[in-house]
Amino acid sequence: MRKGIIYIALFSFFALVSFTSTEPLFHVPSGWPKPSYDFSKNTLSQDKINIGRALFYSPILSKDNTISCASCHLSFTGFAHTDHDLSHGIDGKIGKRNAPALMNLAWGKTFMWDGRINHLDMQALAPISDSNEMNENIAHVVEKLNQSNLFKNLFYSAYRDSLITGERTLKCITQFMLTLVSANSKYDQVMRHEDTFSSQEKNGYLLFQKNCASCHTEPLFTNNQFANNGLQMDTVLLDNGRFAITHLASDSLTFKVPTLRNIEFTYPYMHDGRFKKLSQVLNHYTSIPQHASTLDSQLQKPILLSANDKVDIISFLLTLTDKEFLYHPKFQYPKKLFSQSPNGL
Amino acid sequence: MRFIICFLIGWMPLCLVAQNDISIRFHHQINHQKLILNEQIKLPSESDSVVITTLKYYISGIQLLWQGKTVFRESNSHHLIHIEESKSCTFPLHTPKNIHFDQIVFCVGIDSISNVSGALGGDLDPTLGMYWTWQSGYINFKLEGIHPKCPSRKNEFQFHIGGYQMPYYPLQEIKLSIPNKKQIDIYLQLEKLMANLDFKTQKSIMIPGKEAMDFSKRFTQMFSTAQ
Repeated sequence: MRKGIIYIALFSFFALVSFTSTEPLFHVPSGWPKPSYDFSKNTLSQDKINIGRALFYSPILSKDNTISCASCHLSFTGFAHTDHDLSHGIDGKIGKRNAPALMNLAWGKTFMWDGRINHLDMQALAPISDSNEMNENIAHVVEKLNQSNLFKNLFYSAYRDSLITGERTLKCITQFMLTLVSANSKYDQVMRHEDTFSSQEKNGYLLFQKNCASCHTEPLFTNNQFANNGLQMDTVLLDNGRFAITHLASDSLTFKVPTLRNIEFTYPYMHDGRFKKLSQVLNHYTSIPQHASTLDSQLQKPILLSANDKVDIISFLLTLTDKEFLYHPKFQYPKKLFSQSPNGL
Repeated sequence: MRFIICFLIGWMPLCLVAQNDISIRFHHQINHQKLILNEQIKLPSESDSVVITTLKYYISGIQLLWQGKTVFRESNSHHLIHIEESKSCTFPLHTPKNIHFDQIVFCVGIDSISNVSGALGGDLDPTLGMYWTWQSGYINFKLEGIHPKCPSRKNEFQFHIGGYQMPYYPLQEIKLSIPNKKQIDIYLQLEKLMANLDFKTQKSIMIPGKEAMDFSKRFTQMFSTAQ
C-alpha cells in the first residue's frame, strides 16, 4: 500500500516536471552577444506574447481595418515582403522603402533603414501612423482595442486588468517581435558541430569572411551600423538615407546594414528592393563606382571576386536559411484565437 | 507603561514618513489676462490679433530648493500640462512635512533618458499626442494657432518643439524664487514667448534641430510667479 502511494507520488512529480519544463520564452543562443533590449522593463509572459502576435496579425492597427503588420511582413519569408520592392499600405498606396525582414530584433539598437526609431517598443508607431502604410494613430487604435471583446479578454488575462493603454499595446507587440529569433540554420548547426559545410559552402564562407563580414558580422550577420554601399540614388525616390534624420553630411546615402539571415527568401534586396537576385547584389559589390563621397571605408578598396567565387558565396548564404524559424507555427497567423472573433475586430 | 512605549514606537514610523502635500498650479495668461483658446487676442506690440488653438507641454524634473540646496526632488517627475484639461494644470508634490523652500526648479520637456527608454505609461503614454511617430522622441512643447501674417494655409502656425540628441537637445531648466506656501502658483505669460516672433518667416517647427533649439530658449523667459 505504502509502495503504491510512493509510486503515485513519484509519477505525479515527474508528470508535473515534464509539463512545466517547456522551452523558455526567449534564450540567447550560445556564443551570441547580450541582447540590446532591456527585458527587465518588459518582462516576457506567454499571455503578452500572444497579445503581441494577435496585434501583429490584426488589421485593427490600420485606419480602415485592412492592413496588418503581416501584410508586409510574412512569416514564411523571414517576415520580409517577398517580390515587392517597396512596401504597400492602405488604399493601395506604395511606400518609399523595402519592408525589411524581421528577426533577432532583441539585438537591434535602432530600427528602420535609417535608424530613425530608437527603441523596439516605439517601432510599431511608425507604420501605424504613416499615411502610406496604416494611416492610423495610436490613440484611436487603443480606443478600438478597448471596444474589442477579444482584446479586452486577452489584456485581462495578461494584466488582471482589462484597461488597454498605449504603453501596454506597444510593449505586447514588442514581446512578440522579441520572440522572432532565428538561430538554427545550417550555418548555426555547423558552428555547433552538428553538421558540416560542403566544400563549396566552405569556400564561400572563407570568401564571405574576407570580403563581407566586416559589416555583416557573425553571428547576427549585421554590425547594426549604417553605411553607404555605393548604390546610385534612385532618381524618383531621391532617398538620401540617414542624412534625413541626422542632417550630417557624413550620413548622406547611408542605410542600415541588414542581417543576411534567411536571405534566400527576403528578396528583393537593398533599401529600395532594386535587386531581385543575389547574383545582382554580388555583381554590384564587385563594380562599385569609387566616386561616392561617403562610400564606406570598407568598400574603398575594390572587392575582387571571380564568377566561381560568387557562386560559392551564394551557396554559403543559402546555409543561413532557418526552416525552423520560417515555418514555426508560433510565429504564424493565430487561426485558433481569431476563429471566434475574426482578426479581433 | 509598556503599552505607552509600544504605542509611541508604533506611531513613530508614521511620523517619520508623514507627508505634507504641496500643490503646484500652472496658470496660462496672455497680456496678464487668462488665456482662452480659439479667441482673438491682441498682442501688445502688434496691430494684429492672434488666436491660440493648442497649448500642451511637459514639465519634468521638479525640485524644491532652500538656500541653493535641493531639499526635495520629485520621483518619476513628468507632467503633461494640457490647457484644455484644467485638472492637468494642478498637481500635488508629495513632500516631507515641514519642508522649507525658497526656490523651485523644473524643466520644460522630457529628458534624453526617458526619450530612449521605450514605451512608458501615465503622462508619457504615446497615445497623448506628444510623441513623434515618424522618428522617435517626445514633443516637449506644442503651440498651435492662427496669425494673419503667417504665409501658410489658413494662416496657421505650429510649433512642435522636441529632440533629445546633442547638439539639439532643447530641454530647458527654469528656476524661480517662490514663497514658502502650500500652493505654488506659476504663471506662463504667452506674450513673452511670442515676443519678437516674426510670423512672416516663422510659422512652423515640426522637427528637432537648430530652429527648435533656438525656439526653446524662449521658454526660460515665459514663466514667473507673479500675475
